[in-house]
Amino acid sequence: MTLTPKIIYMVIVLAGTILLIGDHLTSPALTAVGSPSELGNACAPCGAPCIDTDTN
Amino acid sequence: MSETLPLPTAPVPASRAFEISSLIFFALIALSLSGLVFLDTGWRGIGLFGLGGILGVAFLSFQYGFASVWRQALVHGEVMGLAAHFLLIGLCAIVFIPASLWGLNAVGTIAPVSVSLFIGAFMFGIGMQLANGCGSGVLFSFGGGSGRMVIALPFFILGSLLGSFLLPTALEWGSAGPIAVAGALAELPQTALNLALIGGSGMGFYLLGRQRGQQLPATLFMASIIIAILCWAVFALSGHPWGVTFGFTLWGAKIAQDLGVPVESFTFWQWSGPARSLKHSLLSDTSSLMNIGMVLGAGMLASISGRLGGQDWPSGKQLIAAALGGILMGIGARLSFGCNIGAFLGGIASGSLHGWIWFVLAMAGSFIGIQLRPKFGLSR
Repeated sequence: MTLTPKIIYMVIVLAGTILLIGDHLTSPALTAVGSPSELGNACAPCGAPCIDTDTN
Repeated sequence: MSETLPLPTAPVPASRAFEISSLIFFALIALSLSGLVFLDTGWRGIGLFGLGGILGVAFLSFQYGFASVWRQALVHGEVMGLAAHFLLIGLCAIVFIPASLWGLNAVGTIAPVSVSLFIGAFMFGIGMQLANGCGSGVLFSFGGGSGRMVIALPFFILGSLLGSFLLPTALEWGSAGPIAVAGALAELPQTALNLALIGGSGMGFYLLGRQRGQQLPATLFMASIIIAILCWAVFALSGHPWGVTFGFTLWGAKIAQDLGVPVESFTFWQWSGPARSLKHSLLSDTSSLMNIGMVLGAGMLASISGRLGGQDWPSGKQLIAAALGGILMGIGARLSFGCNIGAFLGGIASGSLHGWIWFVLAMAGSFIGIQLRPKFGLSR
């Protein structure tokens, strides 16, 4: 079988899905979807610090 | 003696059959993840996941790109694509800046103006030309089965993780903090001033294009409006503008953690926002959820339209360019607080000065990236 981008792509998507579900099942649950700007002291969704960079 | 002949049936090409199985494959993944998302985060999570999918379909079907449009502008002087980008940004700004006047519980992206922003945006510009795609471009092209992006995406993730390690030090090189354009004004005059700047830029590119005998393609115009509507929906539902690259950073951090790297000991991952994202499921991170939706949406469209099977590997040199471009974009996105979506679109449409600086520096980086493209067998 030739390793076409399509085959490799499907394998990566499948592996990613397995990792994703594994991560989900083994991580603490959050009842709301959010981003660093909502979950912490970031001023942008990318996690950029807004006012200070103190921990928690 | 009579013989039973088989009924004539139309032959199903192997590649087409594979596309149908691909569609089922993507649909099953989407359905499984939807169930998990719904159990934890309910309809809001499902809505963002679905919006990611629709954005993937929209971007792939319209081939809505940033890297190619900027290249067209810098190499051939074709600037109508830039006019379309500013149309999209202007439409988003109408909702993002005066969010409370629309009754929305949402805020824009106002990121710091720092030395790291200048360096990161410049690096990103180089990277997006080498990889032939930017933040959104890498995602929807990956979803569409592009061999180039199969290479670029993992390196984007790696670069983004490295960028998260570098950002706290880079911020010490100097930062003026977050600056909102006309931030001292009330919402309405602030919106009006920002719209004048965005509209002036878009109109400037449009008039320049007309002077050069160019016209704005109707599909690009329609695509900008459709994507703007989707961006409004993301803003209303998530509480902030659409962002792509934090998801990549988080994926890299989770994988590195699984490999034994003490990611949580790095400063960036001790800041409360990223720390909480790292601790919890990827499916409860808005950026990750939408990115996954975008890949699956693009994957389903590529399966339906038969594009998935027709992808070939680019040359070795081009794959090296994709890897290098991915790394540069990853580091650049973290240092400059986003990509073409989070910083350029989200930043400018939120009235953040960092978005404008990002645009100028990423354009300068693109110019350098375009000069490097022939070394990797890519056309200018």
